[in-house]
Amino acid sequence: MMIDLQTRASQIETEYVRKFKEEGGKVVGYACVATPVEILEAAGILPYRIKAFGHPDTSLGDSYLSRFNCRFCRSCLSLGLDGTYDFLDGLVETNGCDHLRGMFENWQYAKKLPYFHYLKVPHFFREDALEYFTEEISLWRESLSRHFGAPLEDAAIWRAVDEQEALQARLRELYALRMRKVPALSGAEALSVICTGSSMRTADFVSLLDGLLGDLSERKVEGFRARLMLLGSATDEVDLVADIEQQGGLVVTDALCYGSRSFWERKGESRDPDRFLAEKYLGNLFCPRMFTEYERRLQFILDRAEEAGVDGIVLVYNKFCDLHGVEAAALRVDLEKRGIPVLVLEKDYGSQSDTGRVKTRVQAFLERIGK
Amino acid sequence: MAKELTKPLEGLFNRVYDIFSIVDRLPDDMTDAEVEGVLHVLPTDLRRTMSAFLAPRLREASLEFLRLIKRWLEGARRAKEEGKKVVLVPFNFPPEVIYGFEGAWPITSEVLTTLGVAALEGQGERYWDFAMGLGLPDFACSANMIEVGSALTETDFAPDIVLNDCFASCDINSKTHEFLARYLGLPLVFLEKPPDDTPRGIRQYYRYFRAMLSDLEEILGEKLREERIREVLDRANRASEFYWELWDLHKFKPCPVPNAFSLMTYGIRYTMWGQEEAVSAMEKLVKIAKDRLSRKEYPAEREVARAWWTYTSYYFDMPGFFNWMEENGITHLGDGLDLVFPRIIPLDDMDSMVEGMAETARNMPMTRQMGASSMSAQWLEDIIWATRELDADCCIYCGHHSCKQTWSGAAVVRRELLARTGIPTLVLQGDAWIKRMTSMESLQEQIKEFVDNVVAKKREGRRPTRRKPASAAEAPAG
Repeated sequence: MMIDLQTRASQIETEYVRKFKEEGGKVVGYACVATPVEILEAAGILPYRIKAFGHPDTSLGDSYLSRFNCRFCRSCLSLGLDGTYDFLDGLVETNGCDHLRGMFENWQYAKKLPYFHYLKVPHFFREDALEYFTEEISLWRESLSRHFGAPLEDAAIWRAVDEQEALQARLRELYALRMRKVPALSGAEALSVICTGSSMRTADFVSLLDGLLGDLSERKVEGFRARLMLLGSATDEVDLVADIEQQGGLVVTDALCYGSRSFWERKGESRDPDRFLAEKYLGNLFCPRMFTEYERRLQFILDRAEEAGVDGIVLVYNKFCDLHGVEAAALRVDLEKRGIPVLVLEKDYGSQSDTGRVKTRVQAFLERIGK
Repeated sequence: MAKELTKPLEGLFNRVYDIFSIVDRLPDDMTDAEVEGVLHVLPTDLRRTMSAFLAPRLREASLEFLRLIKRWLEGARRAKEEGKKVVLVPFNFPPEVIYGFEGAWPITSEVLTTLGVAALEGQGERYWDFAMGLGLPDFACSANMIEVGSALTETDFAPDIVLNDCFASCDINSKTHEFLARYLGLPLVFLEKPPDDTPRGIRQYYRYFRAMLSDLEEILGEKLREERIREVLDRANRASEFYWELWDLHKFKPCPVPNAFSLMTYGIRYTMWGQEEAVSAMEKLVKIAKDRLSRKEYPAEREVARAWWTYTSYYFDMPGFFNWMEENGITHLGDGLDLVFPRIIPLDDMDSMVEGMAETARNMPMTRQMGASSMSAQWLEDIIWATRELDADCCIYCGHHSCKQTWSGAAVVRRELLARTGIPTLVLQGDAWIKRMTSMESLQEQIKEFVDNVVAKKREGRRPTRRKPASAAEAPAG
């Protein structure tokens, strides 16, 4: 099952997506973990998280973005423009970062998808921002309902919330297996699972995880030299994690937005569904785009590192990623001050030319931490 | 550790301040021989800058401008001595808001960087290098990182408060200042602009603006006083009137406004707007441009091209950039940083004044374009408006390496501008504040090639205009 998942995780339009579409389902793409997928789920839509899986060809994207823009966004844009993403019935833009905004704007400029909505996410968590984001969610809900003819009643939203909570619980179980003294799965496998699920309806992903958790309960991954944590910018590059692990450092946990940051501490309190989602997503957005929340992010990383008993942290970011590039300078100091060795790894997304360099640096890091 | 790596009394602000301390000693009516004498004793980088500023056609304006900058720097020093708080703001935050407080004085990150690059031997590179040494990324923006790098050495004149309003319009700017505030343990005040230009988005921005004022009041321990705000905004309004007069003077052909006035205009806007010095400096620029108009003065034999720079200009070689262009008949009509859209704020009561300041802040460069609902659409609209107003025949995008947000929209803007107006855009690449990235000679070569082969031929009708029968662009709101 794990091998099957890894294969599926390298496909953009999976068999699951094809089947869903053939049965008349609608698929809407989004990119950022600030997007409350419950809204799409409640409308019966498949929320598809945009990925590029290290796609190295950025030529089409380069005709709109520049070489000073993050290559992950250029890769996704290229896939959007070359027809790979033509199965999408719409896109939801969020202002995750300057590069992501550029990717969405250019995608829509060149392709003009039938449905396009811009969900504006505040950069800080405060009552006035929360109220604005609640309204944003309400407006999105209206727009989606209008375009797709889905009623989007409160009850449907609450059902989607319950499903998401079930999913979050399963993913925490998966991470618990990963963090065991002798882990049940590798970091590359865990990333494959999450990437696979990010192209599925929640209920189906929960079923898949139920089967997987049973399969993995007795499994053991052995023969590694160090327990590592991976954190940093948008990373759907399963191969990158595999490269790190091939050097002997098993990635037993992470603070990635294609990882624990997307599901760990997601909760809200309000009884109004839109407000609840605003609390859940804006209040638990462990991303450096959020202003004045550095201490919370640091604590989140420290908690994950401690519970996984890591020997070191690999902090990875894509060249030109402003948010993580600056954050990395602060995190390196603060984590090392606490006795956690850190490897800061700036790399070009999807570039084969970085593979050798990455491996060498990981090897040197493992030597440095005495593993 | 920082103190060990840099000598006492170093730091960008301190060094720039020292250099500017001589400005008041320069006579108003310097002769060419006196200028030559002054230039002779200056170190190379400063000599180049001063040779541009003290060119005969610019001399009078430059002296006024340099004195204004000196008083701005001095104001920050004095504020510190008097126990007031020095607030570090980015260029896209209106300094008059800070002048509204008795106990605060604004210093502007990008202006300090530009002054360092213009005045210091070795420009700002040592501070950039220091920041890189701390592990900050090499794709950061030099406009911020040079000044911030200096502050991070902890040997320079330091702000007491960091204010940032760049998130949603520039990630690297907001993160760099957040890093600085945390590193130095300074209070961080922030103002977000939702990328939303609907009435709802504007209302939310005003709400955030008022919250930002409350935060400042709390940190400064001072309530905004209506009378003081009125005085500051009255001066800002008077400067704004001169701004629009100068804008209109750019419409004449050949353009009577020297290229470097673009830089001076926003140099004034980002530092002393709301102070009497800004009013008199703007008045002086207008007067000089009018005099030049009456005398039909233009630095070249003829005006070959009227260029609008779509975002920033280059700042590491003033004579090689501003002066060289106009001496070759290329008028620099302005750049994106000139699009400050100053408004006359009603001074009736506190509410109208606060709302006026908020609206001004919302329309500052970068905030207005990159913080819009669409980064490329608002930017394009503003460029079309400016090029039509000033009858530009070409545009140039500086292509500053770190401007990822403008790079995100640059292709759309270039294509749509050509399609809707027939105006071609030259896309350059380089660092606007670091000379070692792309040399001025290389930039000049590309500009000249573009003007000679695209713009001049288009003017002469030898090159077809690829204009769509597009709808007319509307003047931008505000």
